[in-house]
Amino acid sequence: MFSSAGPGLTCSGAYDPVDESEARVIIIGGGATGVGVLRDLSMRGVKATLLERGGLASGTSSRFHGLLHCGGRYAVSDPEAARECIEENAVLRRIGGACVEGAEGFFVLTDQDDPEYARAWLTGCARAGIRTEQLAAREALRLEPRLTPALREVYRTPDAGVDGFRLVWHNSASARRYGGVIKTYHQVTAIETRGGRVTGVRARDLRSGQEHLLPCDFVVNAAGPWAGEVAALAGLRVHVLPDRGSLLVFNHRFVSRVINRLHPSSDGDIFVPLGTVTILGTTSAPASGPDDTTPRPAEVLRLLELGGALFPQIASFRILRAFAGNRPLYAPPDSAPGRGVSRNFALVDHEAEGLAGLAGIFGGKLTTYRLMAEKAADLVCAKLGVRTPCRTDKEPLLPAQPPSLLRKAARHFPLSGVKAAAERAGALFPLLAERLAQGDGTELLCECEMVSRAEVEIAAADENVRFLHDLRFRTRMGMGTCQGAFCSLRSIGALAAAGLLPEGEPVAALRSFFQERWRGLRPALWGAQLREIELGRAIYAGILNFDGIDDEAC
Amino acid sequence: MKPVDVLVVGGGLAGLTAALAASERGRSVALLTQGSGALAISGACVDVLGYAGGAPVRGDPLESLSLLPAEHPYRLLGADTVRQSLEFFTRVCRNADLHFPLPGQANIWAPNILGGFKPTSLYFTGMDRETLAAAGRLVLPLMPWLKDCRLELAALELKKQKRLKDKELLTPKLPNPFAGVRRDPTQLDLARYVDSPEGEGRLLEALAAYAGPDALFLLPPVLGVLRHGAIRQRLTEALGCGLAEMLAPPPGVGGLRIRNAFMTALSKAGVLLAENARVSGAVTEGRRCLALSCQGPERDRVWEASAFIIATGGFLGGGFVSGPDFAREAIFGLDIGAAPERARWSAESVFAEQPYSGFGVKVNAGLNALSPGTKGKTALENVFFVGRSLAGYDWAVEKSGNGVALASAFHAARQC
Repeated sequence: MFSSAGPGLTCSGAYDPVDESEARVIIIGGGATGVGVLRDLSMRGVKATLLERGGLASGTSSRFHGLLHCGGRYAVSDPEAARECIEENAVLRRIGGACVEGAEGFFVLTDQDDPEYARAWLTGCARAGIRTEQLAAREALRLEPRLTPALREVYRTPDAGVDGFRLVWHNSASARRYGGVIKTYHQVTAIETRGGRVTGVRARDLRSGQEHLLPCDFVVNAAGPWAGEVAALAGLRVHVLPDRGSLLVFNHRFVSRVINRLHPSSDGDIFVPLGTVTILGTTSAPASGPDDTTPRPAEVLRLLELGGALFPQIASFRILRAFAGNRPLYAPPDSAPGRGVSRNFALVDHEAEGLAGLAGIFGGKLTTYRLMAEKAADLVCAKLGVRTPCRTDKEPLLPAQPPSLLRKAARHFPLSGVKAAAERAGALFPLLAERLAQGDGTELLCECEMVSRAEVEIAAADENVRFLHDLRFRTRMGMGTCQGAFCSLRSIGALAAAGLLPEGEPVAALRSFFQERWRGLRPALWGAQLREIELGRAIYAGILNFDGIDDEAC
Repeated sequence: MKPVDVLVVGGGLAGLTAALAASERGRSVALLTQGSGALAISGACVDVLGYAGGAPVRGDPLESLSLLPAEHPYRLLGADTVRQSLEFFTRVCRNADLHFPLPGQANIWAPNILGGFKPTSLYFTGMDRETLAAAGRLVLPLMPWLKDCRLELAALELKKQKRLKDKELLTPKLPNPFAGVRRDPTQLDLARYVDSPEGEGRLLEALAAYAGPDALFLLPPVLGVLRHGAIRQRLTEALGCGLAEMLAPPPGVGGLRIRNAFMTALSKAGVLLAENARVSGAVTEGRRCLALSCQGPERDRVWEASAFIIATGGFLGGGFVSGPDFAREAIFGLDIGAAPERARWSAESVFAEQPYSGFGVKVNAGLNALSPGTKGKTALENVFFVGRSLAGYDWAVEKSGNGVALASAFHAARQC
């Protein structure tokens, strides 16, 4: 199925062995920026390997609001960021259609906001090239009936939603089609240097515990909020401040488009409908460290209070869960933390500090990941003497799926589900469509997100899907109302039957999956979701006794 | 509506038990239900007390009740009441051809479809770990078409049990009787099919090839819903070997068998049943409740009674309501002892004892709610709380859900 897709792949979906000693570039970090750099370099024919200490997209790229910025949010405060956003917004709609959702957003001025700011905002938008169109209040309320009636002005903007998980996966799949190599669950332990030049990277395979030396000519530090820790391995000081943002996921789409509050950027003022849910973001506060991602009840209550300005009934909406991520804000040592720091990115060539062969791409936001990757890849290519230009803004992430394939797959499977599965599966969709067309594996393991057994099995066969969390990112199983109570058990049963079990003991795998889900459920423990949690406890503690000691178990 | 002696609210095991026990005492009884409570999601076993202080209860759980804290519902009720309620339960089930062992015996370990085990008190004879350990070989018929009961994993996990790891284990594939049906079948669909002579016959035919005197079949709960006792007996005789069912996730085939036994008995006893009834408020006068108002499918209605038994469950059953800044009992708005700070509602580990699971209505030994802030004064003297409405225990961690439901409901009925 991949035979025409690019080098390095055989028809079965397996990869030709890549001689790692040939990898000239090592990229550290498996978020959007890292896989973006890998894709860019791979498309230019540069041998590159990406190392990620967790699973793909397990950091900030899966821990944000899902907003594909139009730039309006930065129109007043940061014109350069605004311009980058609107340009990349257009590029991503072009190349990443399967990851982008919705055509527009609203900026809403409520009776609590300063009308003078709206004037400055309109000027800023015009200057950055962001299209705006004022809408009558009545029309806005007709389109978004849950919005507060206390709104003064509403503007249409080209905002959209973007699925961070999917974006990372499709970038990684594209990069691999071009020969890029990805090693997940590999922690970088040292950056080797000789005579002021980087010679390689030491990485520990976290599953086997073995350490490997990977020689290379160049290293790109794309570790997001962990970038400071990575730079420290080379004896460098980089001021990347992890800035904690907490968000809420609501169980349904109570809006049909992105809603921004029209005021200077603050907490709890963005609503993004994405797939089956709506996300409300965000808070901003210095994190205790890049791994500080456990949301707290106080943050949930604060978001609800702030969100009430746009949606007065918000407290009665069902919350699925909360989550938190860390913005990798890049700052010179003396600048103020938090929202005062630029959302812009910086490409730093450490050769100026006396170490050749190491560059860092710091800061930024998901909307501009591709541009960041392009700049980093440009630098690498200049150093390596590669002249091939960047093509990531032109070539779509995924080959187009012929409509006949969708129709074929829909023979035994609902069409709406087939479309969602096609967007998730990406380049693997032909394989999935073939199975669904034959009625093979059409059982819905996850009813919330319409994930079939065939899709779960195909996703689990990928070498970068090691744990149930990876499977969740890849397929969205476990992200719906039941938060995994039904679908994870079904999935692990199906995977046991197919010989595709994840790492570790199956029951332990389920346990750690639920523990992670629990982290996001705890801070919003009330209403229908508390009821759902008790159902989960009835199954896993009450029936399956996951919690109790059994001293006859080995 | 003519006033009744006892009005019971709640369709789970506690509600059904309270209604039947009150009726057997000669009271006129009406039962209001919204659903089937946890019976619709649980197995055919009664957990009395599986763990105390984190350690498994190995002997007769009735002898371990003293290990529990003083505010635990069992301590309020006493072991005699618990025993009598279990005897009542086994009698009701026996009349419906569901044969549970009598109380007073050691806990047994019941298998589940993941190949794990749970300590429980009453489960059908021959369905415990001892039977598995005594069998010559185990037969796990795979039914890949039941997505909630994939026994491939159980086959791997059973091999991790000390006394089972060297056993011969067969995993034949069973044909799908629902082939061509455009819906994912559940174990409940299969159990209902097996209730029919055709379904029973086809199951027997599929299993027969793997039968043998020393074999034990391990199945998901599929041996009928309405006629389980007879089906199990016939299949056991025809195959000439043991048949055990493993506890499984919802839908709760086993719980529905128990529900069916009680519904049959309630119908015979002439208990008035109002389904899809949502109690929306109470009429009280001083320390007495006069009536409950109720939203029904057709119209609203007021139910007057002399005594009220509230078996509406907790957060899962709908007996408690909660939001970002409140948590209370749903009908009377009673305090359930919820910690004011949300962070203190739950434990960091998902499988630990959860503080919120101990929230509930605080009662006296007669199961009347205590007024908060008063020393032992009851809020309403003719209203009795039973089952998960009660404070002071974590049913999931202890494995005590059905036991507390039975004992408290049985006790409340005796107060009316």
